Amino acid sequence: MTAVPTVGAPAARAPGAPGRPGGGPPPRSLGPRPLRRIRWPYGSGRRPRARTLVAYAFLAPAFAMFLIVMLVPIGKAIQVSFYDWLPFPGAENTWVGLNNYQRALGDPQFRLSVVNAVVYMLVTVPGQIVLGLGVALLLQNRLPGRMVFRVLFYLPVVTSWVVVSLLFRYLFATDGGFINWVLVEGIGLVDEPVGWLDSRWTAIAALCVLGIWKGIGWTAIILLAGLTGVPRELHEAAAVDGAGYLRRVWHVTLPALRRTLVFVSVMLVIGSFNVFISVLLMTQGGPAGQTEVPLTYTYRQTFNFLEFGYGSAVAVLMTVVVLILSIGQMMLANRAERGE
Amino acid sequence: MNSVPRRRGRLVSASLAVVTSLALVGCAGEEPSSTDGELTGTITFWHAYGADSKEIETLRNVIIPGFEAKHPGTDVQDVAVPYDQLHQKMITAAAGGDLPDVMRADIIWVPEAAKLGLLERLDTEMPDFAALAAKVFPGTLETNKYQDGYYGLPLDTNTRILMYNADALAAAGVSAPPATFDELRDLADKLTGKDIYAFADNGLSGWNVLPWIWSAGGDITDPTYTKATGYLNSPESVAGVTLLFDLFQASQMPNIVLGGTGGVPTSDGLATGKYATILDGPWMYPIFEASHPDFELQVGQVPAGPGGSVSVVGGEDVVVFRGSRNKALALEFTRYLLSEEAQLEFAKIGQMSVLRDLDVVSVNPTYRPFVEQLRTAKPRPPVPAWPKIDDLLQRRLQAAFRGEMSVQEALDAAAEEIDALLAQG
Repeated sequence: MTAVPTVGAPAARAPGAPGRPGGGPPPRSLGPRPLRRIRWPYGSGRRPRARTLVAYAFLAPAFAMFLIVMLVPIGKAIQVSFYDWLPFPGAENTWVGLNNYQRALGDPQFRLSVVNAVVYMLVTVPGQIVLGLGVALLLQNRLPGRMVFRVLFYLPVVTSWVVVSLLFRYLFATDGGFINWVLVEGIGLVDEPVGWLDSRWTAIAALCVLGIWKGIGWTAIILLAGLTGVPRELHEAAAVDGAGYLRRVWHVTLPALRRTLVFVSVMLVIGSFNVFISVLLMTQGGPAGQTEVPLTYTYRQTFNFLEFGYGSAVAVLMTVVVLILSIGQMMLANRAERGE
Repeated sequence: MNSVPRRRGRLVSASLAVVTSLALVGCAGEEPSSTDGELTGTITFWHAYGADSKEIETLRNVIIPGFEAKHPGTDVQDVAVPYDQLHQKMITAAAGGDLPDVMRADIIWVPEAAKLGLLERLDTEMPDFAALAAKVFPGTLETNKYQDGYYGLPLDTNTRILMYNADALAAAGVSAPPATFDELRDLADKLTGKDIYAFADNGLSGWNVLPWIWSAGGDITDPTYTKATGYLNSPESVAGVTLLFDLFQASQMPNIVLGGTGGVPTSDGLATGKYATILDGPWMYPIFEASHPDFELQVGQVPAGPGGSVSVVGGEDVVVFRGSRNKALALEFTRYLLSEEAQLEFAKIGQMSVLRDLDVVSVNPTYRPFVEQLRTAKPRPPVPAWPKIDDLLQRRLQAAFRGEMSVQEALDAAAEEIDALLAQG
């Protein structure tokens, strides 16, 4: 176990990659190194059964929670998606097979909602990573009041979605909204107020701004933790070799952050497909359903129109999409790593 | 940052929490009422009165104490739920078997809830139903009907009338509100270039467009609510929608009609002179008083077309849920809400009575134009599929207003889809 460098490894794994066993060697660019088994710290390894039991005992509460509030509802949703379902005691629910899925795949409104979510993902995920990385690099420096800035950037993350969505709805209001006030009165960029929330793409742009603004802090904190794992000597060596700041970021910092970046991007992609509260409160899916996203569509079908079976089918489809995307991302990342 | 399963887990745990708390509330109502007709025990009453509204004050300080004084030993617990959430909360509670005893429901929810089997059928359950039904306006009673039974009783009624800003009209050199379709078009032309919209509305659902369709002589379905084709897409109906479409095309109507949330709400626009006219209900008086105390609201009837001046009926019904454990008390409370005493108290603070013989205008003179408009006003079709019908009508019309199809094409398509929904019953 002595081979693992002490510098930064615990910090890199603590918040950055909770599911990763053993922290591993932080930067692969240091050279290939075989993965080693981590020794169980509470015993010599002579009683494997007891060891396992202890581990299960620790896992049990979390797993029970996971089972009750996640796996059981997921299973139920999958079941419901094959029925024409009403959730009332004594309701007669008819098995409709794949009808709900067929309907979803041929439903233009559902398709539109998926396109909106994909656009939202393509804008907000890179946006949060690039800006979050910038903030993390800035906050890494020993500037005065560093903690204050860290708190300020993290504040949007812990603020309620409801509050910030209503706030942004005001900011982007056509008449009397702050953004239009700045654009028209402040810098005179446009003559007429822009109807931000009155057409599809401007409304999605506003939603993206909110999504990025609210997510920067989270991305920055995770990346900041990853940055502490970048060996200082590499930076120094690169500097001695004459590399400027940007070249060092590109050739030293980013490769060292690879695992953290993969984790962050997977989480952000999943998060972007779950955009819900901001859409519901800022645009209500409007105008004319043009900014609907999969979750608002599911919600409306289920609770406004009592299409529980159809709503569940849409939800299951979205779960599959997110699952495929996440697995694909991780496989790509792994392959890139192996290819080096 | 939530994964898909976590989101769903949250919904479930949230609904579990709701259900648990409701179960606790529900327990209070389990005390059996005595068998000799004596009323005791507790019932729960859900409604959507606003948190600090005068309605809720009256309910809690006058109505409920008044009922409890008449029936010592009883307890009515009211629960205020925001209007937007009440329908969903009813569905969630039904799934968990934790509905309240009595609810004040929007008239458009009653047929759906009756179809789902959630409601007590009142015309068979109440021996005095016929007497109660005879006291109310027939149009308001109809909203409680599903198939052959009545599943509620009307509680309050309202309708939309024309509200206008006199200063905005003066800017066009007009002194009287537009009384006909032509006068509205005329007003709109005179206001062009003056930065004032002639008319504003915030959507194209039934509540928004039906006054124009009916006033134009059109309709949404046949009188028995079995068919929309031939009615919703008739030349008259198309003409009614086309009036709005033309105003919108000529920028005489703001684009909040498309459902965007960025624009100025109709009430603010009217009070600040951005919008010359809107259609709205009696609840607007206290709202204008609070948010725009200097604005002098002027009102008139819905502009008349070939079909006359026909507005849309809104309002609420009282329903008793089948799962109520204290049905006797629930029914008695329903009776009390329809009593002259209770209806008068509500009439004082902006809730129009459904009782035919109650002189609400002398209680509150602002009701006069509404009472007049109600003489011809029609209800939206009281069918279980109405929420879906309403949504697809709005979507089709918004597509037309966005220029994707003509008004005729939109109404043809909507009528065909509505036919299918009506056929499902």
